[in-house]
Amino acid sequence: MSKKNASSQPKKYGVIHELKKNRILYLMCIPGLFFLLLFSYIPLAGIWMAFTDYNVVDGIFGSPFVGLKHLKYFFFGTGMGPKSIYNTLFLNVWGIILGLIFPISIAVFFNEIQGKMYKKFTQSMMFFPYFLSWVVVGTLVYGLFATDVGVMNRVITFFGGEKIRWYADGKYWKPILIIANVWKWSGYNSIIYLGAMTGFDGSLYEAAEVDGANKLQRIIHLTLPMLKPTAVVLTLMSIGRIFFGDFGMVYGIIGNNPVIGDSVAVIDTYVYSCMRSLGFSYSTAVGLFQSIMGLILVTLANAAAKKINDGEGLF
Amino acid sequence: MKVKTNRSDLLLQIFAYVFIGFIGFVCFYPLLMTLSVSFSSEKMIAMKGYSAIPQGFTLNTYIYIFGNSGKEILRSYGVTIFVTAVGTLLALTITSMLAFSVSIKDMKYRNVISFICNFTIIFGAGLIPWYFMCVNYYGLKDNIVGLIVPSMFSVWNMFLLRTYFKAISQSLYEAARIDGANYFQIYARIAMPLSKTPLLTVGLMYALQYWNDWWNALMFVDNKKLWPLQYLLYNVLSNVNAVKSGRLPAGAAANIPLPSETVKMAVTIITIGPIIFAYPFVQKYFVSGVMTGAVKE
Repeated sequence: MSKKNASSQPKKYGVIHELKKNRILYLMCIPGLFFLLLFSYIPLAGIWMAFTDYNVVDGIFGSPFVGLKHLKYFFFGTGMGPKSIYNTLFLNVWGIILGLIFPISIAVFFNEIQGKMYKKFTQSMMFFPYFLSWVVVGTLVYGLFATDVGVMNRVITFFGGEKIRWYADGKYWKPILIIANVWKWSGYNSIIYLGAMTGFDGSLYEAAEVDGANKLQRIIHLTLPMLKPTAVVLTLMSIGRIFFGDFGMVYGIIGNNPVIGDSVAVIDTYVYSCMRSLGFSYSTAVGLFQSIMGLILVTLANAAAKKINDGEGLF
Repeated sequence: MKVKTNRSDLLLQIFAYVFIGFIGFVCFYPLLMTLSVSFSSEKMIAMKGYSAIPQGFTLNTYIYIFGNSGKEILRSYGVTIFVTAVGTLLALTITSMLAFSVSIKDMKYRNVISFICNFTIIFGAGLIPWYFMCVNYYGLKDNIVGLIVPSMFSVWNMFLLRTYFKAISQSLYEAARIDGANYFQIYARIAMPLSKTPLLTVGLMYALQYWNDWWNALMFVDNKKLWPLQYLLYNVLSNVNAVKSGRLPAGAAANIPLPSETVKMAVTIITIGPIIFAYPFVQKYFVSGVMTGAVKE
């Protein structure tokens, strides 16, 4: 668009003129743009593999064209395709729900605390998990759920129960992953809400206090409604990425445990494991499905955000 | 009425203290447990299991680790430190230059460049084409460059920095322009020095990302000599025997009982050690980064 405008003007105000005038600024963009070219734009060409049976000899564009064969196989040919979609959505939906409840309640109650030292201390503890990699979280989870030495089983046997073999049964791991995710991100996300709260109008609270509203009423009628825009934006962002599983979380905590791997496989880990077993073309197709769903949902979420927030989109 | 209000307020306050204290404890407990197990004796752990209080306090695990796989761990430390230092520096340079440019209103196509950045968030090719290019054409397999370059630019961090740069008064730049400075000089001599805190914030975010990275290693590195710490830990975890792989000097083995549970936790502590030490000093920068990033504009 801007190109068209430029060409209709006299030449000295055209694209060349602008690039010349601000050439230093454009030059400063080159390393960043070159990075995006290498790692985001050139790989787009590789999407073609999703529609071919890629082989090394013929290369990306020479391999035989097979159309939607791989996508069909993903949906109908194997149970793992739909299962990985289901797992991804399941984990993410719970992540969104608990990701609203915990950070918001933490922020709201944190705000009610007067003691400065207590605030500093507890916030440090709550924010800490954010600094750990999923691999480290994986060892912490192991410490809690190891069969013989883990804390959970010690608590269970203390109360006279039977030890549970957590690492041998897939059914436990979706809840564990959901909790681990909330554990890692609640402190971080509560800071976002606390940030929003610093912008609130204090006189509203004073007025409410004069009118005899107690703290709980002020939270329900003032704080929560004012946090809604922030909550909506964060939720829409998560919805935009609802088809993307957290590879690091699943792989960092479960690793390649064959016993429980399948029951928590998300699309991302499925793509990774297919890369070796079912080849580049099939796994590219699976990734493409994910990217397209992402494109659609992010666009919708952005439009919704604009509608709700008076023209202000997500990015 | 008055009394009743006060009482409900007091109850709410007490609940707030208890609730926040509980959440804080839950967030911190696993770390405490890890720390205590790493200082416990393997025998006691086998008998009594994990807990937050060291059982049979001993340094044996650490002595064992540094005695037997010290070289491996120190080398991985070296890899991680190198990758973190070089990566953060390069990432910060690239990111700040682009962020500065698109913060200048005089630059006509800044929105085009912003869109080029944004589009990569909205749509990507997925893992396989990315991996395919990196391995087949960019030569990142078993190459330390593969641990640095693929994470060298984050669009989110760029927009975060742009927000900070935008807050600098443009009249400062104009004055410098009149004095004959070009935009690179303005960037280097005015914008950067005025943005020390934001740069520190974004720099720390990159540093944390590099320190915690094991994804790039999982993708590209087979050669053990290039394993960063996190990936070493990942391998210790998924295969505990990686550490006990029989490289035991005959003499030492007799004195120190062979640990495994404690080794896992000690390696974890070794991996996050620097984060624990730096945490009190850097936490506030992350808090401000998170708040700014979230508020946006």
